[in-house]
Amino acid sequence: MLFKDQVDFVRQHIKKNKLRVFMTILAATMGCAFLIVLASIGFGIQDTMRNEILQDQAITEVEVYPKENEELNLEEIKSVPYIGAIVQRTSMDVMTSFHLDDRSISGNLQLTDMKEEEQSNLKLSEGRLPQNNSEIVVGYHFAQNLWTDTERAKVEEGVEEADLPKGYEKSIIGKKVSLSLQSYDADTTFPEQWHFTVVGVVDNPAKDWIVDQSILMDKSWLPELTGVYEANAEQIPEKFTYATTKIYTSSLEHVKSVTKDLKDMGYNVYSVSEQLEQIDVFFMAFKIGLIFVGTIAILISSIGIFNTMTMAVTERTREIGVMKAIGASPKLIQRLFLMESAWIGIIGTVLAVIISYAVSFLANWLLPMVVGAALGEDGLQDLSITFSLIPWQLVVLASAISIGVAMISGWRPARKATKIDVIQALRQEL
Amino acid sequence: MIQVKQVDHTFLIGKKGKEKKVPVLKGLSFEVKQGEIVAIVGKSGSGKSTLLHTIAGFMSPEQGSITVNGQETANLNETERAAFRLNNFGFIFQNFQLMPGLTAIENVELPLKLKGISPKQRKASVQQMMDKVGLTEVGDHYPNELSGGQQQRVSIARALITNPPILFADEPTGSLDSETEQDILLLIQNLNQTLGVTFVMITHDAEVASIAHRTFKMHDGELVKGDVR
Repeated sequence: MLFKDQVDFVRQHIKKNKLRVFMTILAATMGCAFLIVLASIGFGIQDTMRNEILQDQAITEVEVYPKENEELNLEEIKSVPYIGAIVQRTSMDVMTSFHLDDRSISGNLQLTDMKEEEQSNLKLSEGRLPQNNSEIVVGYHFAQNLWTDTERAKVEEGVEEADLPKGYEKSIIGKKVSLSLQSYDADTTFPEQWHFTVVGVVDNPAKDWIVDQSILMDKSWLPELTGVYEANAEQIPEKFTYATTKIYTSSLEHVKSVTKDLKDMGYNVYSVSEQLEQIDVFFMAFKIGLIFVGTIAILISSIGIFNTMTMAVTERTREIGVMKAIGASPKLIQRLFLMESAWIGIIGTVLAVIISYAVSFLANWLLPMVVGAALGEDGLQDLSITFSLIPWQLVVLASAISIGVAMISGWRPARKATKIDVIQALRQEL
Repeated sequence: MIQVKQVDHTFLIGKKGKEKKVPVLKGLSFEVKQGEIVAIVGKSGSGKSTLLHTIAGFMSPEQGSITVNGQETANLNETERAAFRLNNFGFIFQNFQLMPGLTAIENVELPLKLKGISPKQRKASVQQMMDKVGLTEVGDHYPNELSGGQQQRVSIARALITNPPILFADEPTGSLDSETEQDILLLIQNLNQTLGVTFVMITHDAEVASIAHRTFKMHDGELVKGDVR
């Protein structure tokens, strides 16, 4: 029998029992859609958490801390394969004061190697990285927090966020700023002053609440600045410089090996990929659980398919008998019934996928508003929270489960059809 | 064309574990020649239907051999028997056994579909066959829209559409009035003469048996040889 004729045959029989087949398809659709939507919550929350983590840190970034009471051995670290850049930023336990005309700011001074910063792909919102040690790069919020004394006094009195001074509103690129230092326990600044040209502004931090008013300066200034501090400060603490070291691997797949090598050297290491791995393991278990629960819904709907197909075989016993009498092979009879149950499964699955995407879209659109309204917070919909995410892998898996279960449910009735005795079937009353 | 040799068959009747053996075919042997119309007659329970079902391959005999066109059919498996029936046999049943959801044309077309014939070839063959059995006007009608005689003509057309060499008829006029019965019998004779189809008919109607070239009478599972023309 030609495949087209087999399909026509199945369609003819489905047409004869439209309502029953529709109800069975509805059950299959509900089961499959339930599985997809349920599992999509796991995928959605995982996606949200991954994005949240990756907002803070580049995926190739590995933070490394020295062993207790020891310094980092950068030469040793450099020997680890697949390291792209080692960015060590040193900050001082000192108050800094940067001036531009009548404006000033107390920024977070960080001394670093600009070549390593370049290799780590430090992102700038404007300008460029320094090419000599008289040039600096400032944080994204540096200019807007450059206030006059009057503005600062007003802020200290307390103002609404909307009324905060706008700071230096022109482009800060190319502007000369002066730096002076002051220890925390003294009232006056040190007499020494240095002048720098701002050549770049660091990119806006991903997290909205972070205010970046740091200043990146070449590390060659460290001896001079510490010398001035030591010469002027009344009390010199044992340690007044602090270094944080971040390593950037040459590519994503090397994060694991670099992390392992550094751990083997005895360093304390933290990488975002490690955290992501832990999250992925947790969510894998979570998603398997959700898919398992969803599969139960599909199994329940399969009872409907089993009943429909059993009824179909029972009702068509005489027709099956005639078919067999005139030469239809048992295999063909079985295939026709399996095709019918597969057809129910396929239609149910296609509808379920469409419905699931619609539900997922609505959930991601409506839920932030509903939750925001319930909690009395307006800005919730601006946050990138994914409640439901349907990747193609989930669609493939759910479709395979749904169509597979439909075919398994139709298998036994189909086998029953092949075993129908021709003589008994032909004796059935019309 | 058909050789039946020493065919025995027994039915087990009764509750499981307490079955009783009832012999229905007892050492039957006969031959049907090509182009013959053979009638098998006998009372109810004489075993004539079981004999037809055995020759047609709906069931296997317990003992003996059945050879059709040189092929031993008693030992074929179910799939092989189905293929053999499709290529060698046509069937006419007492209650027509048409598919209620298919039109007259679709019913006639069904064996060609099972053989995997293309729609274009099927259309031409079916049209020709519908003309031959006088059903051109009612091709699009469903079985419940046809008279008994018309339904039996559809059944005959379906049986002949694959040009089988042998046609089995189980009480072919059992559900028809006497006028229609005459029409059908004339059609069978006509097809036998024009197409050379071999007919094996089961009947208890002397009128039907009268068109047969040979008549075998059965009694209690045994063949009582009747008139041989």
